[in-house]
Amino acid sequence: MPVAASAIYFLNLRGDVLINRLYRDDVGGNMVDAFRMHIMQTKELGTCPVRQIGGCSFFYMRISNVYIVIVVSSNANVACAFKFVVEAVALFKSYFGGAFDEDAIRNNFVLIYELLDEIMDFGYPQNLSPEILKLYITQEGVRSPFSSKPSDKPVPNATLQVTGAVGWRREGLVYKKNEVFLDIVESVNLLMSSKGSVLRCDVTGKILMKCFLSGMPDLKLGLNDKIGLEKESELKSRPAKSGKTIELDDVTFHQCVNLTRFNSEKTVSFVPPDGEFELMKYRITEGVNLPFRVLPTIKELGRTRMEVNVKVKSVFGAKMFALGVVIKIPVPKQTAKTSFQVTSGRAKYQASIDCLVWKIRKFPGQTEPTLSAEVELISTMAEKKSWTRPPIQMEFQVPMFTASGLRVRFLKVWEKSGYNTVEWVRYITKAGSYEIRQLVVSGSKLVMAEGAIRLFSTGSRCHEIRRGEGHLPGPTQPAFDM
Amino acid sequence: MAPPAQSQRSQSPSQPSGKSEVSDLKLQLRQLAGSRAPGVDDSKRELFKKVISYMTIGIDVSSLFGEMVMCSTTSDIVLKKMCYLYVGNYAKVNPDLALLTINFLQRDCHDQDPMIRGLALRSLCSLRVANLVEYLVGPLGSGLKDSNSYVRMVAVIGVLKLYHISASTCVDADFPSTLKHLMLNDSDTQVVANCLSSLQEIWSAEASTSEEASREREALISKPVIYYLLNRIKEFSEWAQCLVLELVTKYVPSESSEIFDIMNLLEDRLQHANGAVVLATVKVFLQLTLSMTDVHQQVYERIKAPLLTLVSSGSPEQSYAVLSHLHLLVMRAPYVFSSDYKHFYCQYNEPSYVKRLKLEMLTAVANESNTYEIVTELCEYAANVDIPIARESIRAVGKIALQQYDVNAIVDRLLQFLEMEKDYVTAEALVLVKDLLRKYPQWSHDCIAVVGNISSKNVQEPKAKAALIWMLGEYSQDMQDAPYILESLVENWDEEHSAEVRLHLLTAVMKCFFKRPPETQSALGAALAAGVADFHQDVHDRALFYYRILRYNVSVAERVVNPPKQAVSVFADTQSSEIKDRIFDEFNSLSVLYQKPSYMFTDKEHRGPLEFADELGNLSIGEAADNVVSSQRVEENDKDLLLTTAEKEETRAGHSQQASFGIDDLLGLGMPAVPNVPSPPQLKLNTKAALDPSTFQQKWRQLPIALSQELSLSPQAVAALTAPQALLRHMQSHSIHCIASGGQSPNFKFFFFAQKYEESSNYLVECIINTSSGKAQVKVKADDQSTSQAFSTLFESALSKFGTP
Repeated sequence: MPVAASAIYFLNLRGDVLINRLYRDDVGGNMVDAFRMHIMQTKELGTCPVRQIGGCSFFYMRISNVYIVIVVSSNANVACAFKFVVEAVALFKSYFGGAFDEDAIRNNFVLIYELLDEIMDFGYPQNLSPEILKLYITQEGVRSPFSSKPSDKPVPNATLQVTGAVGWRREGLVYKKNEVFLDIVESVNLLMSSKGSVLRCDVTGKILMKCFLSGMPDLKLGLNDKIGLEKESELKSRPAKSGKTIELDDVTFHQCVNLTRFNSEKTVSFVPPDGEFELMKYRITEGVNLPFRVLPTIKELGRTRMEVNVKVKSVFGAKMFALGVVIKIPVPKQTAKTSFQVTSGRAKYQASIDCLVWKIRKFPGQTEPTLSAEVELISTMAEKKSWTRPPIQMEFQVPMFTASGLRVRFLKVWEKSGYNTVEWVRYITKAGSYEIRQLVVSGSKLVMAEGAIRLFSTGSRCHEIRRGEGHLPGPTQPAFDM
Repeated sequence: MAPPAQSQRSQSPSQPSGKSEVSDLKLQLRQLAGSRAPGVDDSKRELFKKVISYMTIGIDVSSLFGEMVMCSTTSDIVLKKMCYLYVGNYAKVNPDLALLTINFLQRDCHDQDPMIRGLALRSLCSLRVANLVEYLVGPLGSGLKDSNSYVRMVAVIGVLKLYHISASTCVDADFPSTLKHLMLNDSDTQVVANCLSSLQEIWSAEASTSEEASREREALISKPVIYYLLNRIKEFSEWAQCLVLELVTKYVPSESSEIFDIMNLLEDRLQHANGAVVLATVKVFLQLTLSMTDVHQQVYERIKAPLLTLVSSGSPEQSYAVLSHLHLLVMRAPYVFSSDYKHFYCQYNEPSYVKRLKLEMLTAVANESNTYEIVTELCEYAANVDIPIARESIRAVGKIALQQYDVNAIVDRLLQFLEMEKDYVTAEALVLVKDLLRKYPQWSHDCIAVVGNISSKNVQEPKAKAALIWMLGEYSQDMQDAPYILESLVENWDEEHSAEVRLHLLTAVMKCFFKRPPETQSALGAALAAGVADFHQDVHDRALFYYRILRYNVSVAERVVNPPKQAVSVFADTQSSEIKDRIFDEFNSLSVLYQKPSYMFTDKEHRGPLEFADELGNLSIGEAADNVVSSQRVEENDKDLLLTTAEKEETRAGHSQQASFGIDDLLGLGMPAVPNVPSPPQLKLNTKAALDPSTFQQKWRQLPIALSQELSLSPQAVAALTAPQALLRHMQSHSIHCIASGGQSPNFKFFFFAQKYEESSNYLVECIINTSSGKAQVKVKADDQSTSQAFSTLFESALSKFGTP
């Protein structure tokens, strides 16, 4: 059996029960004490998310300042249990409208009890789709949508959706203005060695959509991915367009995507849920365009002084900007005094995380600001060795840039009533875990950690594209073609 | 839900006991119960909320049961839900009061609103009161036939709940067969999925007693049922898909074309956004193709990309679950992921449980082509802040070294670790070097050179110390100081808390003795004496065994203790392949995470010691008491044994020249504090000898000079002798005490004395040292002239060690 969860607990960081729901009798009521005693109050906390205590297994996850604990008494499906928790939290968030934390739970505990009843019955996951649950469990806790209606007629329809086949969309939606928003959000992960070679580099991307469309529309999305393009040219028997094609290592889709059609025709076609959802996720390891190069030089001058020079090059188009760039350069714990010179942005020493933090709010493409800092250390013999040179970390967002080079070629909306739609497409690349290991040079020897990164000129000219002129997008005339 | 009595115990004392609040609530509820005024629902809702929140924090609000039930007549669905929740929570402890609720719940089961019907039915089944089951059968029966799928869905799980309260009622009402019918015919997939879960549980439980049930259970994995479910799989919710896929793994297709059909049908599931569905599909693919080797390999290639995506997406907990599965797979097919090793590089901020698994993955995927990169990366982690991870990564380097044939570069790395001067790094590296030498003795020369530089004082961890001692014993011919390091370790025998280290020390001293007898002799004697007196039974037994085998025949002893070794080619795998296969069969479950098959952690008898603290406490006390008793008994037995052997030895003295040095047949006079242990086969000095200066002077005058000789001092000794005190302390550690000393560089004069162990036989020494010439003039006088030569040797070896670390 996948998960027959015996109980689910929500605890705060002190271990107080915020909410508990026992689904089965096969675990004792003192399970939460066992969890507190054996996991929360020991060093075990955080060393492993799955623990066995007595005859029961505990799966726990920390989400902001709340622990969610699932207790099972048999050999359960772990992946399923964790996914369930993640989905449940997403569901709660969509109800609370944002944060999921201790306060939110305390303020909404009746609602959570209600939801816990619906999403799991006797330990088996039931329906977790927010779109459907919101039909009959409303945030305001108003009466059942059915009870006010005297006739039983609309009910079968509504409850069919509650449990039924097209779980993600209900019929009869009407919007005055039919709009689709599509965001390609990529996070680029980099691990660069202290010698400047790329150890690991990949992009995990997702396509987020927001649909405000009437009726039951059919959408078709075309990307510049290699397989899709090849398939298309094969079908239309015309040569594939030249230009960059992207090889996706792996793709996963929202349940609304017709996977059979994807496998046969390599097009992404789907009936979207209403509102916001994640259409697909993908992963790319080849041909990643790194938006930034970081060139650190860190010199130790004797026991008590360090010289830190960091140059950051932006290697995307000159017309683009990166926003919210933060570069964290770890320094030893015993740092006493720092002085900076930066050619752009602001820098300071943040003792709480033992880092020099350099912030650049707006970072244009094709520039290379530098930071040079002098760090004075308290001279201690003992602690010197314990500095383990954590990697330099970087945060950024580059709008209208994709590290993978992925582009939307077209997005077609087809609905039987033939209304006009407005489509919006945005791209953004964020830093995932962008780590550059430090090479600390002692004395006057100077070694540049020169990045041996392949660089591509990015020539991307993507702006928000708006297509309002109404005509039915036909197959011969793609919505937009890039 | 937690019985209130227990939950209250866990409350902090500052929390209100809730008594006055509860009676307040009672009053207010009563007032509202009969009221039909507008807005009464809102005030009820507030009150109910309070009750529920008290219930959540563990205050016993069961006394409100009656009032809550009275207030439950409402059309407000949220109020109803809160009331159901309350009732479900307390009905079990108030079975009599629960009867009150049956009425309104049954009424609600016939409400025109399907939502209320469903909720009421769910609550009714959740009361969990055995004597109310008769009231369940009717509503459940009609619920299963309800026109609304929501109600049916609830009713199906209700049947399972009923089964758990009263199996016979459930079976007598013939609910299982109704469920079976529903499963195969219902239009709603969630109803079908719930039927499947319920039936699996019910029939599995019944199968042990009823043959029909076990037939039915088999029927669930028959071709028609499986095909029926597979054909509808896309309609199921993601969770139900997991359920169906798990069932499919148990299905045995009759021909290979079926296997391909199923895999083609399910291939797109690998692209599902829900990782649980992907893993469940992976399991189906792996299980179906077990008998087809080549297809099985293709499956590995096919599932690689989705699995790697799962690792890098989602929460760390999810990655952890997936990585555990990857680890299992990589054990079966290491080559599959060997080109993707970079996916297992650790990120700085990852939780340690993910890092640990990634290290295991890196170890497992290492092969000829990627070893260099992987080891380079692992060496980075050795400087990690997170010490356990740093240790793991060093261990990983060692494991890779043991897997590979070309270990040249790795050995260098390991030796670099030894020079990093971090205790834990040194400790881990020592253990690895030891294992490495066992497999590749040809590297001994390089390793020993580095190991020799490590001071045993800097190594504290038992495992590392044991490894160092093992190397000292094994390679004592190549390490100049080996006998002396071992000797100093023997001297600190009492401070060594780990039995493992003491065992290794015994063996190492033995090995060293066979290679360099004169230098090790004294250490061996001390080690055997200390070992025989050891309270740890294994140490004691080993020491006694060595002692006897030495007494019997030294060359036999050498053949036993230090035979020529063959390099270990394969280190024993701790897990049998049978167990591994079982874990593989239980893919996508806890077994994989715990790395043991489910019977080991779900069956009570395999669970091992209970882990609840109080029980554990009792357990350890019991064990400790046992230990005390047994060790006492053993000690007593041993004393008897030892006495008799000591007596026997008298007649067989002098059998072996080297080993029988200084065996004394004299019985101890006094010294009751010292345990009654026979002398080891050589002269042993009393560590706590005492002699007052006047007696010394008197004896010095009386006794003739037994021995006079000139000894050379090593340059280190000369360097160390800056003041008399340094030598005093050193000699004292060899049980040779100083009674007077004086002089200044370069001339020092010392008077030493020593006492034979357990006897009042004294040795007196006059020692004049000239540091500029590096010579020492030694005159020895002894009560017992026959042993003065032995003492002199001892003195000489003690002096020669002066200045060496």
